[in-house]
Amino acid sequence: MMRTVEVLLVIILLGAAYVATSSYIALPSPSTVSPVDLNQLAYTTLQELDSRYDLSSAAFQTNNLTAWGDLQIALAASLPANMVYNLTVYNVNTASNGGPLYSRVASISNAANLVSTDASSYLEASSNVTYISTPQQISTNGSPITLYILDCSDTAGWWITGYTPSSLAQTVYSLLSPYFKNTVMVQNTSQLNQLLNGQSIQGGSVNNAIIINTCGEAVPIPTNFSSPTGLNYTMGYDSVDKSYAMYDYTLGKITQLYNWTWVSIVGYPFYYVTNTGSLSSSQNNFGIYGMNMVNGYGLSAFLEGLNDQSYKYTGSSVGQPGVVYLTSQVQSLCNYYGLYPSVSQTSTRALPTSITSYNLVVTNSLFTTTSPYNPGAVYRHLDGTNYQGGFFALGMARIPDIRLTALGILCAYQPARYGSLYTAVGSNRLVVLQLGIVGGG
Amino acid sequence: MSGVSIDHLISIVVLFFAVLLFIGLFNQTLSSAVDYQRNTSTAKACGDLLDTMLLTPGIPTSGTPIAFGLQDTALTQYQLDPFSLMRLDSSTQASISYQKTDLTYSNITTSPSNYLLYPYTDMINYSTALSLMGINGTYGFQLSLTPTVSISIAQVSASPLSLSLNVTGTGFPLANADVNYLLIPVLLSTGSPDFETIAHQTGTVETNSIGSTSVTFPNFSLNPNLTYAFVAYAYLDGITGIGCYEPSPVGTQSIVPFLDPLSTLNVTLAHSDDIPNTSTTANTLYYNTTFILESQNYAIQETSLGSSNTSGSVTSGPGNPISISMGSYTPGILVIAYDNSGNSGVVMMPWGFSSLGFSMIFGGTQLNHGWVATDLRQVQINGVSYQAKLSLWSEQSYSESG
Repeated sequence: MMRTVEVLLVIILLGAAYVATSSYIALPSPSTVSPVDLNQLAYTTLQELDSRYDLSSAAFQTNNLTAWGDLQIALAASLPANMVYNLTVYNVNTASNGGPLYSRVASISNAANLVSTDASSYLEASSNVTYISTPQQISTNGSPITLYILDCSDTAGWWITGYTPSSLAQTVYSLLSPYFKNTVMVQNTSQLNQLLNGQSIQGGSVNNAIIINTCGEAVPIPTNFSSPTGLNYTMGYDSVDKSYAMYDYTLGKITQLYNWTWVSIVGYPFYYVTNTGSLSSSQNNFGIYGMNMVNGYGLSAFLEGLNDQSYKYTGSSVGQPGVVYLTSQVQSLCNYYGLYPSVSQTSTRALPTSITSYNLVVTNSLFTTTSPYNPGAVYRHLDGTNYQGGFFALGMARIPDIRLTALGILCAYQPARYGSLYTAVGSNRLVVLQLGIVGGG
Repeated sequence: MSGVSIDHLISIVVLFFAVLLFIGLFNQTLSSAVDYQRNTSTAKACGDLLDTMLLTPGIPTSGTPIAFGLQDTALTQYQLDPFSLMRLDSSTQASISYQKTDLTYSNITTSPSNYLLYPYTDMINYSTALSLMGINGTYGFQLSLTPTVSISIAQVSASPLSLSLNVTGTGFPLANADVNYLLIPVLLSTGSPDFETIAHQTGTVETNSIGSTSVTFPNFSLNPNLTYAFVAYAYLDGITGIGCYEPSPVGTQSIVPFLDPLSTLNVTLAHSDDIPNTSTTANTLYYNTTFILESQNYAIQETSLGSSNTSGSVTSGPGNPISISMGSYTPGILVIAYDNSGNSGVVMMPWGFSSLGFSMIFGGTQLNHGWVATDLRQVQINGVSYQAKLSLWSEQSYSESG
């Protein structure tokens, strides 16, 4: 009987041990076993809110109720509905012992108490000491300039080997659009026709505009100017000399009228005209259809128009200075604008300095002058004491480096990039986002 | 003596059964603890693998990658490459075969006119991804990418055209958000449709407190010869979403854009009558294309593709399909307008995964797997906000206790 009692005692002990063990190692809830990594979620949320520097801006405008209201809306919209949060901004100063001193500035939250939470922090620099730099928008006499990029689907390109006009247009758009209030892609020659008639496209301004031709040595010509039935055919075609040089003359006149800056990205400017519709049966002697050769007559016609003189069917010439170098000032601006084309380039279609006889003044040069040629120069037409119309032809050999075009325009207008030092006192704020999950998690 | 023996025997038997019982009970408790440890380990691996996927440079546009990653190499942190994502075999809809290219395409179709069709031959499938990540036979996963902001658009009136927009985030409506929009009017003429330019076709409106707003185009009223495409970007403090709308197509025939392998930069335009098998009758649709870009300041810009065949005709029946080149790896939206013989409409295709705000689910199925751990990150794909969610489970053969 004693043995049985002992065994019962053992069973009671084992049972007690099991109960004790079970109570201690009771399995946690699934949310504890596999928690959402709130730390990383908070970090990526802060990163997203700051992707366009809005968080940085709000962190330094804690008295701006609109900015904080928007921040709270964005935070609530980006997090799952069962999340609670507390976003707190701390000012970062230096304590007497040299260590960082954090003082709370403001906070927003959607819960009174956050239990079982995790947090992430993000250090923000104020907008006047920030890493970002805001580009100044290019303007003339206080009025923003519109950038038009000729990306006409019904044209062909020449001397842009390996690229299409469209791919060059997209690249130059990404490089230059931050510097312009309005950048317009001219999508076909019909839109170009509108522009030539002084009509605005997509809200762009016609006066003082910059026109970048991405078709290389060819210039898009609207059907109105190239087709015998077109309304402006006589302004596009010289029936006496059987040449579309008349169109280039008209372009020069319009450039002068609206004070445009016409940009040629590569090779011999105005050497061809292109329209794959109305000129579909003609080719440029190299098998590219939709193109008609104007030869050097196009350049001289454009310059005549720009100088507001009568049209004369005259040839022109360009030169081959060979290897040319970016000026030291331009090399310095390469750093400023973050554009780094090669310092040495090959110029085989450089404009001669003699074109200054068309009342042109060089206002900016990308390359050191190799007399009697001046490749990559911005020429402004002098109309009395004012500039009226401009022409920027790179004159480089193919294949075009479109960064040179962007650099040339930036160097000509030199828009500022606003930014400042990172070392100012009291310029940092720490943003802490604390997240928690309500419900089952 | 016999009493002592009986007492001994009874005690031995009772002890034996008691020990058996308690071994079972303790074993059950211990195995639950082991499960707990395994599940915790899976949960930790889930976060690690999600970060590995999102922070490893993205899959290249051609060939088999040497690692599985989605990050945009031109950017930093949790910003994903829109073209890497296009190569993931993430279709949840029935695949589509096209006899003229002799290829089968994965299918992400969000409406009758919004397609993302990519050939399986150039895709990275789930088993390849497992091998590339070195977890084949260890873990299984499912990665989902869902836009943080969704924009639902409806046509309120046709004359003048008025559209209502509702912008909602994951948790709440996106109130006070700026919405940039672009209307592309399409004139359905006898030949290829024309993209028209009208005043005020672009602009910005702000959502109200419930995330709603509306846009009216006083210069544009619909009629049988006009249709349109509409694209809108909503943004507030870095949270960005995209929405699009086009009227329902008219007729049974349409144009379907099939992506060629990304490295070719080409898109094949097919007549719907030729899908899946080449039709015996010749029906022609005239088409025109345009391309929509988003700039850094959220402005939407329409541009041409500048390649050959951007307008023309597609005829069903024998003959080669039409191919157009996208020109470059600049993300945007390809817009194709078509018409002829009572069939007309506008089709949109994203060039870059995020351009139309599509969702995706890539990986295995979670069914019949014990414990599934999940983790979440906020990411951006070409500036559009997404939530990346990874579900991970162990593939090693053990059964849950209990």
